[in-house]
Amino acid sequence: MEIKPILSTLMRNKTGVFVIAAQVALTLAIVANVFYIVRDRLAEANRPSGVDEDNTFMIGVGAYRPVVDPMADIARDLAGLRALPGVTHATLANQMPLAQSGNNSGVSVDRSQQQISTSVAFYEAADSLVDALGLKLVAGRDLAPSDVIEIQVGENSPEGPFPVVVTQALIDKVFPGETQPIGKLLYLGVGPNADELRIVGVVEALTTPWGRASWGLANRGDVSMIVPFRRATDSPLYIVRTEPGARAAAMKAAEALLVKPGNGRVLGANRSMTELRERRYRSDRFMVGLMGTMTGLLLVVTASGILGMASLWVNQRRKQIGVRRALGATRFDIVRYYLTENFIVTGIGIVVGIGLAFALNAMVASELGLERLPLAHLGIGVVLLWVIGQIAAYAPARRASLIAPATATRSV
Amino acid sequence: MFRYYLKLGTRSLRRNPFLTALMVLILGFGVGTSMTAYTVMHVLGGDPMPHKSSQLFVPQLDNGPLEGYTPGDDPDHQLSYIDTMNLLKDGKGKDRVAIYGLSPTIDSGRADLPPFFEPGLATTASFFRMFDVPFLHGNAWDEAADRDGAFVVVISRELSERLYGDTDPTGRSLRIDDRDYRVSGVIDHWRPVPKFYRILGGGGAISDAEDLFVPFRNAIAREWNNNGWTNCSGGRNEPGFAGFLKAECNWIQYWVELPDAAAVAEYRDYLSAYFAEQKKLGRMPRPENFALRNLREWLAFNEVVDSDTRLQTWIAFGFLLVCLVNVIGLLLAKFTARGGEIGVRRALGATRMEIVRQYLVETVVIGAIGGVVGLGLSYFGLAIVDKYGLGEAGIARMDVPLLAATVALAVVSAVLAGLLPTWRAAQVMPAMQLKSQ
Amino acid sequence: MLQMRKLSKVYRTHLIETHALRGFDIHVREGEFVAVTGPSGSGKTTFLNIAGLLEEFTDGEYLIDGVPVRGLDDNARSRLRNEKIGFIFQGFNMIPDLNLFDNVDVPLRYRGFKAPERKARIEHALERVGLASRMKHYPAELSGGQQQRVAIARALAGDPRLLLADEPTGNLDSAMARGVMELLEEINAQGTTIVMVTHDPELAQRAQRNVHIIDGQVSDLEHVTPLARVAARGAEAAVA
Repeated sequence: MEIKPILSTLMRNKTGVFVIAAQVALTLAIVANVFYIVRDRLAEANRPSGVDEDNTFMIGVGAYRPVVDPMADIARDLAGLRALPGVTHATLANQMPLAQSGNNSGVSVDRSQQQISTSVAFYEAADSLVDALGLKLVAGRDLAPSDVIEIQVGENSPEGPFPVVVTQALIDKVFPGETQPIGKLLYLGVGPNADELRIVGVVEALTTPWGRASWGLANRGDVSMIVPFRRATDSPLYIVRTEPGARAAAMKAAEALLVKPGNGRVLGANRSMTELRERRYRSDRFMVGLMGTMTGLLLVVTASGILGMASLWVNQRRKQIGVRRALGATRFDIVRYYLTENFIVTGIGIVVGIGLAFALNAMVASELGLERLPLAHLGIGVVLLWVIGQIAAYAPARRASLIAPATATRSV
Repeated sequence: MFRYYLKLGTRSLRRNPFLTALMVLILGFGVGTSMTAYTVMHVLGGDPMPHKSSQLFVPQLDNGPLEGYTPGDDPDHQLSYIDTMNLLKDGKGKDRVAIYGLSPTIDSGRADLPPFFEPGLATTASFFRMFDVPFLHGNAWDEAADRDGAFVVVISRELSERLYGDTDPTGRSLRIDDRDYRVSGVIDHWRPVPKFYRILGGGGAISDAEDLFVPFRNAIAREWNNNGWTNCSGGRNEPGFAGFLKAECNWIQYWVELPDAAAVAEYRDYLSAYFAEQKKLGRMPRPENFALRNLREWLAFNEVVDSDTRLQTWIAFGFLLVCLVNVIGLLLAKFTARGGEIGVRRALGATRMEIVRQYLVETVVIGAIGGVVGLGLSYFGLAIVDKYGLGEAGIARMDVPLLAATVALAVVSAVLAGLLPTWRAAQVMPAMQLKSQ
Repeated sequence: MLQMRKLSKVYRTHLIETHALRGFDIHVREGEFVAVTGPSGSGKTTFLNIAGLLEEFTDGEYLIDGVPVRGLDDNARSRLRNEKIGFIFQGFNMIPDLNLFDNVDVPLRYRGFKAPERKARIEHALERVGLASRMKHYPAELSGGQQQRVAIARALAGDPRLLLADEPTGNLDSAMARGVMELLEEINAQGTTIVMVTHDPELAQRAQRNVHIIDGQVSDLEHVTPLARVAARGAEAAVA
């Protein structure tokens, strides 16, 4: 190969080499660091919630006149909802996955603990939430009607023990490696008076009302539990599941059923699980779009820089290319010469860029919430830039190969 | 000579429109992206009450249990009802306000306007004067209404127009959660950005102000639950709303106005004494732990400018840097190609400085056009950020200094990018170009 | 007008030292038309570059119009070049982006003349070379001879005392070359000193005086026929 002559030519074009290498280095440093964020956000925005998202919705109502017997109203509402065409399940609940409003509680696994083991999204459901959300039970049993504890207005939550269904993520968090979680005990809060909870079932997943919360209360976003509470309220929230394709109509019908002129009811929210996911991750998707656009622009700019510089070099060297051709270089030799040259220049940029990427990561990672730079991402960035460099340099290289050998004998 | 160089510069740029357009576009994109990101950061990190931000303070008291205490932990962001009432009663500081969120129903009685939920605040009359809330009609309720928990309400202009059209509703009655309230005033459009007074539980830093305000004591008497963030510690509450009020639950946001350093020092002493006093009464089991942050410190503490926003800004300026290096390359190519002309000019008596000036003027022209392009792209970018990022139009706006900064950034960038190529151009020796072309 | 004494120019690279000029003595008097000849690599171009203040010299003395130029900084040299010297290049060196008017304008701009004076001078200079009617044309629209005439106009516009020409007819056919030569003679007749580097013996003969450079040294052959020239290697034939 003709590495040596290329190197000595480059040594005489230091500024050009610098300009290209600097762009490649900066681009690599930025792209490698951004890549992680994009991947991470996309993974979170698409993380399965454990819910049958296409066929579930929530509807919440409030009262603008005093409610006499909330339990009776709730029973009537549920009966009405279940009778709607296409509705398969409905339950009273206190919160909805990804709805960004709800309760968290701390749990511990030992009464002597000073600190809670984890924070848990605390789902209260009167009827099967497993059915209403389409969750997948992987161990034990679902909560049964006989487990349900009724709580009247003004009453506190009952003292334990009571049965709970938890997510696999909660088991992994507080009983790592446990294969027989059924029957294990958890405590609500810490200390000797903490209420006792007995695990009767495990669901594969049930995302929290916040997804993965930025404040890290429920890590990974699916540390949740379901307790069998029927809590009387004048502003109930219902979670409804329908047959495939029946949701939109059921949502309209549910609203008409629950809020009628003069019935003292106000509509709170009537949202499908699909919409809730969209709202929850809107800002993350925006961030991904923004980062993606920036990365794309960055690569385009860098590619145009490589293209421009390669064209300039070809133009400056028309004569010597002609001479090379006259001396017997084939077209392929000329193309290879320029691609090799580009490979070397990009390579210089990449070497500097790798250092810069790590430096940047070390400098700003903690402030900007980045994790340590994964080597795989750096590798992807390196390959990407080399490929882009070769593509950008190909057109000028090809043009160089078309220079006639006769150029050598012309004076200008 | 400047006009001569301007003429030469524009002519040279017109001579190679593709290269010029490329440079202008790349510069415009770099400047547009970075100014968009910067504007968002500037808006979020802005001071919503510049004349008063150093006088408005948030006290925080650590009422948590001894279990789970780690030295150095910050106290909770909000206060318990017990502490709120004590602090209000002691009346320290020049002025003070307590706030919590509501979501009551409004029944207009009109057939065409069914009852609806409306976000509101339970607060004290001091809210309006401490935060300089502008009134369109009427005014805030008086101290007596605060004391008695009267059935009075202040509503937003938007709600007023929805309920009453263009008429002044002051003195009229409004049915809220099945009780009649007298409208004492209507506030004019008021939307501090960021929404500093209720960052937690109020819809975030960029969100609308609430639409109705009722006296704090009235809301408590009506047993209206907090519509926002509630953080309880310690054991089981006593039942009902009364039990909730007695519990170590933190859900009330509290501000105090302290006009000078002496007042701040005095208030710190007061908080310290208060902490000790509560300890004696059997509360506050942890070692003394309180905080007093002014508005700006409060915004920083709550990370109103979140890491996403900062990251975007970093990346945008990184992008600008790449664009700059790119323009350096293009200018180098352009100026190198004109080595002959430079040699002739030098031979005809141009000093180095004159060559430098000529080429700097050319880069300034590129910068100015790039700045205009960047400005356009910033507007486009901000519209997108408003729509998809912040979720509301008209938040991320450029003020005049930012407009000027955008163009200045473009020109400075172009000049920086032009330094190396211009310096190289000035180094062209006249002698070298004399031999045949 | 132009006086060099014991002037030397050494080019140094990290490998070798080349003496382009050594002990170079020449004196061109006001109003003279001097032709400088010599084989390739003899130092003709180096001489012209130094004479035109385009390059510095290593040792010796150089006075232009009685002013010593040794040690002058780049700015002072630029100014001196602009005011006292006009250049005519073999390759014309028009600025392709500028029309004839603007090309002639270039040195006048650096001279700092006001607009009306510049206009008058440009028009006068272009008239002198017979191209006043084409001042809005661009160099590419002209023949080589015409371009060289514009170059001469550009060199004359600032009223230089000294005109330096480097192979002014080198890129022209013989008819055009004759025209340019006649123009130079006419300019010389009006009082401008001209130093012209050429390798064309016929052209050199038309000058009042011939200076031959060999190996970086001068052999002054005044009014001699080309046939009478002898290689004056090593001879110190300075005219001072």
